[in-house]
Amino acid sequence: MDQEQLVKVFTSAVLARRFEAKIVELAMAGELPPSLHVGAGQEVAQIAAIEALRPDDYILYGHRGVAYMVARGVSLADMLADMAGKEGATSRGKGGVMHVVDVPKGILGESGTLGGSFVVSVGVGMALKRKQPDTVVTYFFGDGTANRGPFHEALNWAAVQKLPCVYFCENNGFAISMPTSRSTAVENIADRAAGYNVPGVVVDGSDPVAVYEVMEQAVARARAGHGPTLIEAKVTRLQGHYVADQQEYRTDRNAVAEKDPLPKLQQTLCDRDILTQADVDDIQADADRQIEAAVAAMRAAPLLAPEVALQDVYA
Amino acid sequence: MPTRTYSQAINDALAEEMRRDENVILYGQDVAVWGGIFKVTDGLLEKFGPDRVFDTPISENVMVGAGVGAASMGLRPVVELQFADFVITAGDEIFFKAGMWRYMHGGAHTIPLVVRAPSGGSGFGPEHSACPEAFIMHAPGLLCAVPSTPADAKALLKQAIRLDNPVIYFEHKLLYQMRGEVPDGEVLTPFGKAVVRREGEAVTIVAWQDMLRRSLTAAERLSQEGIEVEIVDPRTLNPFDRETIIESVKKTGACIVVEEAYRTLGVGAEIGALLLEEALPYLDKPFKRLAIPDVPIPTSQHLVDAIVPSVDDIYRAVKEIAD
Repeated sequence: MDQEQLVKVFTSAVLARRFEAKIVELAMAGELPPSLHVGAGQEVAQIAAIEALRPDDYILYGHRGVAYMVARGVSLADMLADMAGKEGATSRGKGGVMHVVDVPKGILGESGTLGGSFVVSVGVGMALKRKQPDTVVTYFFGDGTANRGPFHEALNWAAVQKLPCVYFCENNGFAISMPTSRSTAVENIADRAAGYNVPGVVVDGSDPVAVYEVMEQAVARARAGHGPTLIEAKVTRLQGHYVADQQEYRTDRNAVAEKDPLPKLQQTLCDRDILTQADVDDIQADADRQIEAAVAAMRAAPLLAPEVALQDVYA
Repeated sequence: MPTRTYSQAINDALAEEMRRDENVILYGQDVAVWGGIFKVTDGLLEKFGPDRVFDTPISENVMVGAGVGAASMGLRPVVELQFADFVITAGDEIFFKAGMWRYMHGGAHTIPLVVRAPSGGSGFGPEHSACPEAFIMHAPGLLCAVPSTPADAKALLKQAIRLDNPVIYFEHKLLYQMRGEVPDGEVLTPFGKAVVRREGEAVTIVAWQDMLRRSLTAAERLSQEGIEVEIVDPRTLNPFDRETIIESVKKTGACIVVEEAYRTLGVGAEIGALLLEEALPYLDKPFKRLAIPDVPIPTSQHLVDAIVPSVDDIYRAVKEIAD
């Protein structure tokens, strides 16, 4: 990962963080429904991983946050429209912000049932192998969803078929309120890779360079026809499962802010003289300008017409 | 016109569509090397090779879910579930992914997926004998075909493969060896067009697959007694041809639905509700359902015979109405 890419990751992470904060602000004010599972703390890993993909590679994502879409340049106004049920909504009011879709940008969507996209990713891999060789699909999922059956069926069959799939686990230590240590028999989700005869790699999700490097290897392996890799990024969930979650179940909640990778990345960029404080200020101001423009566009957009509820069932 | 078995007709449809469109792939448990547990896909691996015809692990969830993913990216997968009951085993993938992936993403995806599901029959026990079409008919987003003849088995499957929506295609296990005329060449049965299999005035029977066969047998016996029943075969349950049933009931004034499925909230219940809403003035006699009392389907044949509607049951039900 070169310096330019690192700045790009930082810039996208700043935008994603601030965009989510704005969404929460609007939700608390009652302007938007509180239907977002905030991804704060996990954006750096998510965006660094996507940076290792080509623009023609595909993504199925988990429910935590909007950084995947921000990294791929999906319109912020359209995502706000997804939340508000307004014209411009990528899923036309059907899926909300949890099911943002933008196929030309490689964003294929998200399952409602947790981990439900494991099985979809296998089919996407089957189609890519036959119709778009040299492209790959990455599925981002949480540690909690790795305890569902589809994880097993998908990993096994993707490995048997040597599909161009990358499985990227964001282990934030919690399945909603339940710590991974109480829900999961292995220490690392990546340990399960042995059961599928695929590489399993654990990486520090707060280190974008490390994440990028393991992704680069996994993507190269998938592209070369050698099959999937199971990557596990250890990440930190800074906030609750949903907007109003006070996290009473969490013993580390007062210390969690110290684990935030975003200020750490900013410090690194400044320490290495890649960015000045003025550059950082500009990046933040630019993010805020984009967000304000998106909010204005969302506010100006009309509500989706009621008959839209009847559309899109069948082709 | 050549005659083919129902099973051969399905095989023919698959071969013709795979030859016509290289995006059609076929997979499922034991379908390739072994030719399928019911031998329906025999010979297709040899014709089309392992890239297009392949076996899967015993993993119904990923079999169907991968079908959705592959269909969304331009393939036209035909997935064989070994038994139709497994639409429940793969419930997330059938009802949520196949049925809702397009809707939930605002129409961004198109899902030309066919799931072949061998249904009915006996001797297989409670989890391998059902005709679960009512579950599918109830769910938004899923088309549903119930072919009753070799000709329809072929023409409905060819049509299903060409549609841009997911189709659950129920093939009845007791019909696999049924022989019938199958027209050569490109014949497609449109979805949503019922067919009147027998004309009559006494009562309208709605039935499909093995219950249609039993109804036709009962109708022969009734005919000898001067009672002529009209039999409607819906052919697809979604889309569902309401008009043909209503038109028939206008003529006969009575309706019996015969189904090889649980009685409560079955297809018959839906047809009863349809007649209440749209054809009540034409009904001279109470609407009737013959169905499996709400119990699982047992394994022993004489116990199955005790609960699945028989030719005698159909005969008696018509006599009660016609007398």
